[in-house]
Amino acid sequence: MVEGAFDGVRVVEYATMVSGPYCGKLLADMGADVIKVEEPRRGDPARQRGPFPADQPHPERSGLFLYLNTSKRGITLDPAHRSGRDAFERLIRWADVLVDNHRPERLESLGLGWEAVRAINPALIVTSITPYGRTGPRSGQKGSELTSYHAGGMGNLLPTRSVDVNRAPVKAGGYPVGYHAGLTAALATAAALVGRRATGSGRLIDISEQEAILALVRTNLAGTIYNRSTWSRVPERPPGMGRMECRDGYVVLAAFEDHHWRGLMELMGNPEWASDPAWGSLKYRAHHLLEIAPLLDEWMLQQSKDDIHHKGAAKGFAIGPVNTAEDVINYRQYEARGYFVDVDHPEGGRFRYAGSPYQMSATPPRVQRPAPLLGQHNEEVYRGLLGYSDEQLHRMREVGAA
Amino acid sequence: MLDFTWVWAGPYATMLLAMLGAEVIKVEGPRALDLGRRAIVWPLGEPEPLDIPINQGMAFNAINMSKLGVTIDLRKPQGVDLVKRLVSISDVVMDNVRAGAMERLGLGYEALREVNPGIIVLSSTGRGSQGPERDYAGYATIHCAIGGSAHITGYPDQPPSTTTGDVDLMNATAAAYAIVAALYHRQQTGEGQFIDYSQCEGVTSLTGEVLLDYEMNGRSPDRKGNTDELVAPHAVYQCWGVDRWVALTVETDEEFEALARVIGRPDLAVDPRFADATSRKRNEAELDCLISEWTRPRDREQVVEVLCQAGLAAAPSRNAWDLFRDPHLRERGAFVEVDHPELGRREFVGAPWRMSDYEPLVRHAPLFGEHNDYVFRELLGLSELDLAELRRHQVIE
Repeated sequence: MVEGAFDGVRVVEYATMVSGPYCGKLLADMGADVIKVEEPRRGDPARQRGPFPADQPHPERSGLFLYLNTSKRGITLDPAHRSGRDAFERLIRWADVLVDNHRPERLESLGLGWEAVRAINPALIVTSITPYGRTGPRSGQKGSELTSYHAGGMGNLLPTRSVDVNRAPVKAGGYPVGYHAGLTAALATAAALVGRRATGSGRLIDISEQEAILALVRTNLAGTIYNRSTWSRVPERPPGMGRMECRDGYVVLAAFEDHHWRGLMELMGNPEWASDPAWGSLKYRAHHLLEIAPLLDEWMLQQSKDDIHHKGAAKGFAIGPVNTAEDVINYRQYEARGYFVDVDHPEGGRFRYAGSPYQMSATPPRVQRPAPLLGQHNEEVYRGLLGYSDEQLHRMREVGAA
Repeated sequence: MLDFTWVWAGPYATMLLAMLGAEVIKVEGPRALDLGRRAIVWPLGEPEPLDIPINQGMAFNAINMSKLGVTIDLRKPQGVDLVKRLVSISDVVMDNVRAGAMERLGLGYEALREVNPGIIVLSSTGRGSQGPERDYAGYATIHCAIGGSAHITGYPDQPPSTTTGDVDLMNATAAAYAIVAALYHRQQTGEGQFIDYSQCEGVTSLTGEVLLDYEMNGRSPDRKGNTDELVAPHAVYQCWGVDRWVALTVETDEEFEALARVIGRPDLAVDPRFADATSRKRNEAELDCLISEWTRPRDREQVVEVLCQAGLAAAPSRNAWDLFRDPHLRERGAFVEVDHPELGRREFVGAPWRMSDYEPLVRHAPLFGEHNDYVFRELLGLSELDLAELRRHQVIE
C-alpha cells in the first residue's frame, strides 16, 4: 500500500483563493485528510478564475481551482449561521490542523478565535495566513497579491535590473504571493506537527504574506544595507549575458567563468573579435563585455533556443530556454522524471497537472483524488463523520448554513 | 542534521530547519568552502568589485545563521569515515551538489543507510538526479526560465524577465517541507527515505494553473505586467519624485466608491463606465489614467495612508530601506540580530513565521571551521589525540 507522509493527519481548510488552499494541497498530496470548507452556493472565489476550457467560465472547471485543490474532500458550510457554527466546532474537535486565511475577526466574532479553539482542542495547530500578520500596526489592513508583493519589496529588489525605472516595478507572473505564503505555511505547519509529538499541544502559526515575500529578498536586502551594493532598478547589464533573444524565443545563460567563456566561443566558431588573449580573463570580460555585446546578441538571434540549450550544456556552461507553458508540458526532462500527474475531474476534464518537485522513496506524493465539486462530500462528512441526521443536514441547507 | 549544501538553494533550507530547532552541522572542506562565502560584491560607486573575506559575505551570513560549522576533507578516506560517524548520530542529510557527486564520495543514500537505517537524505539538484539533463549546469535564473516562470513575468511589450535568488530560496523552502514531512513519517514508522528534489520542477509547481491553460486550450499564457484577469484597478501608480510607486487593487463596488471619494471624484462612483467590476475592467486604461493623475503629484506615504484608511488594499513598492526601517516589521520581529565576531552587530531577515510559544534559536553564521572542537569532541566523543591525528593528516583543520 502506498503511504503518504501525512497519512492520518486531519486538516480543516477554511481558506480561499491561493495561499491557504496551496498549503492544504501540499498537505493533502502528502496523504493528509483535508476537508475544504467552502461558502454555500458560491464556493471558493477561485472557482471564478481561469483558465477555463474554451474560455467558458464554469465554477467546476476552473484550472486554478482544480490545481490548487487536488486530494481534498469538500463541504459547504457557513459558520455565521448557528447550525453552521456548531458543525465548524465539531470539525475543530476532529482536526489536527486548521488552515485559515480569513481575517482573524471572522472566526473570533463567532467565538472560534485562537483562544477559544485552543480550549476546545488543545492539540489543534492553527495556521493563519493574512496580508500583514495578526499583530503589529498594519495587522488589520487589507491586502492582495499585488499589494503584498510590492509591500514585501520584491518588485523593487527583484527582478533585478529593471530596464526602465520610469516604468512601474512589476509583479512576477501568476500568484507568487499566494503560492509562497502557502508553501511557507505548509513548512511551519509540518514542523508544528512533528513538534507536537513531544508536547501534545498545538500552537498558533501566524503567517504574513508580506513576510513570506520579504523572506525571498533577504540577501538583496542585506547586500543593500550593509554593502551599499544593489542590483535593483538598474538598467539591464551585462548585455550579452543573462537573458538573450533567439530566433524562436529566448534563453538565459551564464558563461562568466573562463572555461565557460571558452566553451561559448567554441560554439560561436571562435570569432575573430574574441581572439585577443586578453579575453581569457574574467576581469577583462567584465569590463569590456559591453563592447562585444551586440556581436553576441547578433549571433544568438540566429540560434534556436532548444538547440543552443543542449549545445551550451554540452560545453558545460549554465543555459536554459525561457519555456512557455507548451514548452514545459513537452519538456523531455520532466517526462523522464515522471513529473506530470494525470488527473481526471468529473466536470473539468482529464489533464496533465504539474506534480511535486520532491520524489520521496518511501512516501511518494500522490494526487489522491481530483479537486472536489462544490459540496461533493457533504453527505460523507456531515452524516458519516460529524453524525448529523438527514433532517439536520436538510435544515442546514435550507437556512444556508450548508 | 548534516548539511553539505552550498550557495543558496541548499543553505537556506537548512537554516529554516535550524530556525525550527534542528541542530544543523554545516560541513565544508578545507579547500572546498561554501562558494557562497566567495561572493563578488560591487558597492555602488566603486570602480572595481571587492574581495570579501570568507566569513564576511552578506548573503552567506544572511542564509547560514544558527548552524554549526565544521571542516572535513571529503576526498580523504578518514574524512568519509568521520562523516559516517556523524551520520550515525544524525536524522537528516542534505546536499545540493551535482548529481552523483555524493555517491562518488562514497556518501550516497545507500552507503549512509548502512550506517544509519533510518537516515533521511535529500539531494537537491537543478533538474533531478536522473534523466537526460541530470548533468546540465544551472542557476536560479536558468531554473526560472526552464520552469516557465520567466515567460509570464514582465510586461507584454518587453522581453520575459527572470527573477533571481528568490527561486533558490523558494526551492529551499519546498525542500525543507519535504524533509519535515519525512521526519513526521519517521516519527510514526521509524522509516527513513531518500528525497530527490528538482529545482526546475519547484518553479513549475508554483505555476500549475498556467500549464492547465495549455492543456485546456492549447495556448501558452503570456506576460501581463501588474494586471489581473478580472480586477481593475489593479496596478502600480507613480507618485511624486523618482521611482516612488503605490500598488492598488480595488475589487468591489463599495471599495470603488471609497476610492472615488478619496481621489476627489465622487462622480466616478456613478459613472456608467465604472459601474461594476466588468465595466471597470473594460475601461481599465481610463481608470488607470484617472488614478495616476491623482497619485503623480502626491507623496507616496500620504497616498498609501489615505487609501488604507479608506479600507482599500494599497501598499508602497518598498525598497530595502523602506523594509529595514518599517515599524510594523520591526514590531513583528521580522528582523533578527546577531553578534558576528568579525562584522559586529548585524540584522538580517529572520524566519517567515511567528509561532506561539516558540522563539527560534538565532546565532551568527558559522565562521569557517568554528565548531570543529564542539562537534568532534562533544558530539562524537573524539579525544584530543584523535583530533591531532586528523589534523596531522589534514582531514580537518
